[in-house]
Amino acid sequence: GGGAEGGGGSGSREAVERLVREHPVVVFMKGSPAQPLCGFSNAVVQILRLHGVEDYRAHDVLQDPDLRQGIKDYSNWPTIPQVYLNGEFVGGCDILLQMHQNGDLVEELKKLGIRSALLDAEKDQEKK
Amino acid sequence: RSFASQTDGESRLVRVLQEKFPRASAIKVVDISGGCGAMYEIHIESEEFREKRTVQQHQMVNQALSEEIKHMHGLRIFTSAPK
Repeated sequence: GGGAEGGGGSGSREAVERLVREHPVVVFMKGSPAQPLCGFSNAVVQILRLHGVEDYRAHDVLQDPDLRQGIKDYSNWPTIPQVYLNGEFVGGCDILLQMHQNGDLVEELKKLGIRSALLDAEKDQEKK
Repeated sequence: RSFASQTDGESRLVRVLQEKFPRASAIKVVDISGGCGAMYEIHIESEEFREKRTVQQHQMVNQALSEEIKHMHGLRIFTSAPK
């Protein structure tokens, strides 16, 4: 952006802070959950979908260059996608994938009052 | 991938990582953009990562490579402490 630091631009710390606190699950990505425009952003969407998390806030940084830079400055993290749980930066696609594989994501969702769909899937498996 | 030689980008990143993580027991850098230097996969195992959350470990790598990352389109990071 053209040097508009602070002062309430969409990439300012204050603006980003408001966005990450908007909802228990907030994702900054390329494209939208319905149409991700990057493989890594798509991976985040798919992982959340596996856990039955479809209600979350997603922000398409390709639509807002100030936000695209602002979110990187805010988290001091150079890449997109970025996942925030309860306002806290959790990581990108690789970390979310790791959390999915080691069971941490189910636990973190539980702390937010979200029951992962995978817990019900496991229950179905046990019945067979 | 089992090509015999590294790209210049891969070698440079390995050198920077060796410098910034002197206690690393394993470092592997793979150019996953077909040799274009646009995207890398970084694997690093070091005592320096022990007891740190994954996101903190990744932040350490981001800091170490902050200059190089400016020229990349993306990167994947896999960190661990020795078992």
